[in-house]
Amino acid sequence: MSRWRYFFRRLLLSIPVVLFGLTITFVIVRMGPIDPVAAIIGPEGGAANRARIEQRLGLNEPLWRQYIDFIVGMLTLNLGQSWVIQPSTSVGELLTTYAPRTLWLGFWSVLIAIFVGVPLGFYAGLNPNTGGDYLASFGGIVWRAMPNFWLAIIFLAVLRQSEKFFFGIDWNTIGVTVPGLIGQPPLNFIAVTDWVSLGALSIPIGFYFSPITLAASIKQILPPAVVLGSAAMGNEMRIGRTAVLETINSNYVETAKAKGLRSRAIVWKHVFRNALVPLVPIITNEAFILIGGSVIVEVIFGINGIGYLFYQASIQGDLPLVGSLMFVFIILIVSVNIIQDFLYTILDPRVGYE
Amino acid sequence: MPYEHLVSVEMANEIDKSRRTFLKAAGAGAAMATVAGCISGDNPNEGDSENVLNTINSTVTSLDPIQSTDTASGEVIKQIYEGLTYFENGETTVENLLAEEVDISDDLLTYTFTLKEATYHNGSELTADDFVFAFRRLAESEHSERSNFLLEGTMLNVEHETNGDDELVADSIGVEAVDDRTLEIRLETPNPNALELLAYDSFVALPEGIVGDIEGYDGEYDQSELASSEPVGTGPFQFETWESNAEVEVSTFEDYHGSVANINGVHWQIIEDDSARFTYAMNENADFFRIPTSEYDADLVDAETDDLGREIGTYGPVENGEELDYVGVPQLSTYYFAFNATAVPRPVRQAVAHVLNREDLVQEIFQGRGEEAYTFTPPGAFPGGAERREEFIQDYPYGMNESQRDTAEELLADAGYTKDDPFEMTLTTYESEVFQEAGRNLRDRLDGIGVSLQLEETPFSTLQERGENGNLDFFSLGWTWSWPAADYGMFGFEPENTDTSRMPTETNGYYLDWHAEDSDASRKAQEAWEQVEANPEPEEGQEARNEAYIEMEEAIWDDAIMLPLYHDTREQFAYDHVDIEPFGAMGDYQQRYNSVTLE
Repeated sequence: MSRWRYFFRRLLLSIPVVLFGLTITFVIVRMGPIDPVAAIIGPEGGAANRARIEQRLGLNEPLWRQYIDFIVGMLTLNLGQSWVIQPSTSVGELLTTYAPRTLWLGFWSVLIAIFVGVPLGFYAGLNPNTGGDYLASFGGIVWRAMPNFWLAIIFLAVLRQSEKFFFGIDWNTIGVTVPGLIGQPPLNFIAVTDWVSLGALSIPIGFYFSPITLAASIKQILPPAVVLGSAAMGNEMRIGRTAVLETINSNYVETAKAKGLRSRAIVWKHVFRNALVPLVPIITNEAFILIGGSVIVEVIFGINGIGYLFYQASIQGDLPLVGSLMFVFIILIVSVNIIQDFLYTILDPRVGYE
Repeated sequence: MPYEHLVSVEMANEIDKSRRTFLKAAGAGAAMATVAGCISGDNPNEGDSENVLNTINSTVTSLDPIQSTDTASGEVIKQIYEGLTYFENGETTVENLLAEEVDISDDLLTYTFTLKEATYHNGSELTADDFVFAFRRLAESEHSERSNFLLEGTMLNVEHETNGDDELVADSIGVEAVDDRTLEIRLETPNPNALELLAYDSFVALPEGIVGDIEGYDGEYDQSELASSEPVGTGPFQFETWESNAEVEVSTFEDYHGSVANINGVHWQIIEDDSARFTYAMNENADFFRIPTSEYDADLVDAETDDLGREIGTYGPVENGEELDYVGVPQLSTYYFAFNATAVPRPVRQAVAHVLNREDLVQEIFQGRGEEAYTFTPPGAFPGGAERREEFIQDYPYGMNESQRDTAEELLADAGYTKDDPFEMTLTTYESEVFQEAGRNLRDRLDGIGVSLQLEETPFSTLQERGENGNLDFFSLGWTWSWPAADYGMFGFEPENTDTSRMPTETNGYYLDWHAEDSDASRKAQEAWEQVEANPEPEEGQEARNEAYIEMEEAIWDDAIMLPLYHDTREQFAYDHVDIEPFGAMGDYQQRYNSVTLE
């Protein structure tokens, strides 16, 4: 099978996946017990209002027609307007408002977990059964065991009284001043101020960048990111330690030692790179979970991002919003899968098409 | 995206083992790539926040007054828009706002309003036609979610015509501009609470023709713009920004017809979580706020009752050392447990009523932030006044402030339910820790005497849907009075109106199926409601209606069809530098902030 045929087949196969995902979403939202009209008008509504809202949203149509309208709308990227969460607002607008908050949080929670968890794990693995190892391992287990919702509340309680706990150091004013612990981090540290058009193509030529806002933004996202990444950090630490231990006891390391290689070279060149292999799927997997599963942390820190939006839309039966979010998630996963498969075949000749 | 790089270096060895997981995870990298794209769209300029009042709000859904149905949106709308009447500071007496004077005809059907001179935020002048436009939108627009407030019999009941299909005829409502400054409203039937009703958010003025969602107008803006970015009213503050689920800001309108605000604007941070709200407040990011029950300590309150029944004083010191100004006000609301009569037999309902101890509940779960409810109607709206209620509840048949387990056990045993063969039912509450806690409390008290209670939690919308389908045995809900009168709320108890098989189109009562109960109490309630309907005159009929309402309250007791739990007490805490009027029983969200000063 040629590369292009393989690629084309993958593309075709993804269509039923998307349709299936959207169908399931529709079934759960529209055929389950959730009534969007009730969520909109509340207990004081009145029958005439109900009828009118049902008509406006098209809920009085037969279910099969609603289904077709929904699928056609999604597939033609006509995402529609939110029903309940913010009626009359286009779904696209809501997505662009909410997504950056979550992505910023997810990005830092992944990054912090990697840069703390992995080095700690490697340190523990390179110095097994020492005091440092015990401390790091024990810390890792405890850290891993603390649930997010609890940790988040403790973080808030401690940091908002930081003067009491940290000898007069006020969290809000140390370093960059942030307004407080709660709320969305300012994401306007970079902006395009000028565009130039080349035919149909617009190219940004003027940029605005504020390092202070960036610093404030990072500081603001730090506590929630540490909380969200806490489990991942513990995981990475534990697995990093095991991986290093396994590698360091393998024969080729022995050989390298016998060859008289310096231990620094052994660690960096042989142990480090090989120990990363089992960590990679862990890290990448966690990254995806973190970005999707940040609802609790988002709510407790008042960030209200895409996880929160998805949750609210689901429980209130806001079909266009739930559907669009699901659609985005599905498309994202499917297309990345295809691209990765495709890249594999280019990068690694051992991966076949059969 | 450092790990992407690492992956490509190390991939070859582990391909078979980790390929699937890696492919799945790579989505994260792609998602992050979009970050940069979104960020660059933002505007680098931030406004000045000097002398701006900061507070906290819940999720705002829409700033279109006919579309908003929640108090969070209502709080913002009240700053921007104005109606004919209002409840100043949320107190219970209705006062004129855009109306200068009101003339009511002898038959109580025609209201003639003379309007004040007022300017909109866009510079145009208020005219009577604006109200006609606004009321027509409320009645006719497809975006209206409160047309029943204008048209239905139990509400304002404005004159209107319907065609053969029972649809409203465009431009047929009895609201007319006599001249620029005179507005006439004609009702089908007299309504004793018409002026109170007109204070509701949906009845506010907006410039004629600003949107085109009713016949005869093209509209300057789309309805979606009006709802999110272009609200124009005559209120003391004009709209600045609204970022969904993040913040809303309004600024002072200098040409306001009343007293122009001393502050430069109001900023609401939108926060849903209790500990987040408390942290925001303790960081002094908010000037005034509420304190969640988990952080609340009743011993810190030092307050005295004023002539409106409000507790006014101080609270503190709180954890940041500050002493806060305190206002606590009993609200016109009732939270209750109720039964579906067909699902739960009368002896079981009465047994539950016997074991329920409201004082325990209010003290333990709400830290005393509420008043025990023995009647559905709260003291502030009770027929004949709060004293009459005091007298009435002396006869409460199931034991006040005590849990009568023995009596309950006897009742259940007589009905054939015992410890070994208990009656099984499920209590469904909406997502609220408070009701779940109350449910656990009740379950423990019923355990071992013949009722096995399961607890279940569901989103509000699901609860409502299931209630309308008659699928709730035992459930929790609440009712808030939109104006301070017993007339509002009792219609839901008319047994025929609680028939869930005809909901929501033909009936709109509480989810009780009380009509199916063959009992004296059920018949008594039906007769009492018929007495209410036979006496619609605002003044002369009041006493007859009051009698009937009290009979209905008695019937509710006899059949134990609903167990009122508590009336909410709303509290507001403010830092010393804020000077804000105490609010009243209609709720703090009714308050307008143009008289607030910040030091």
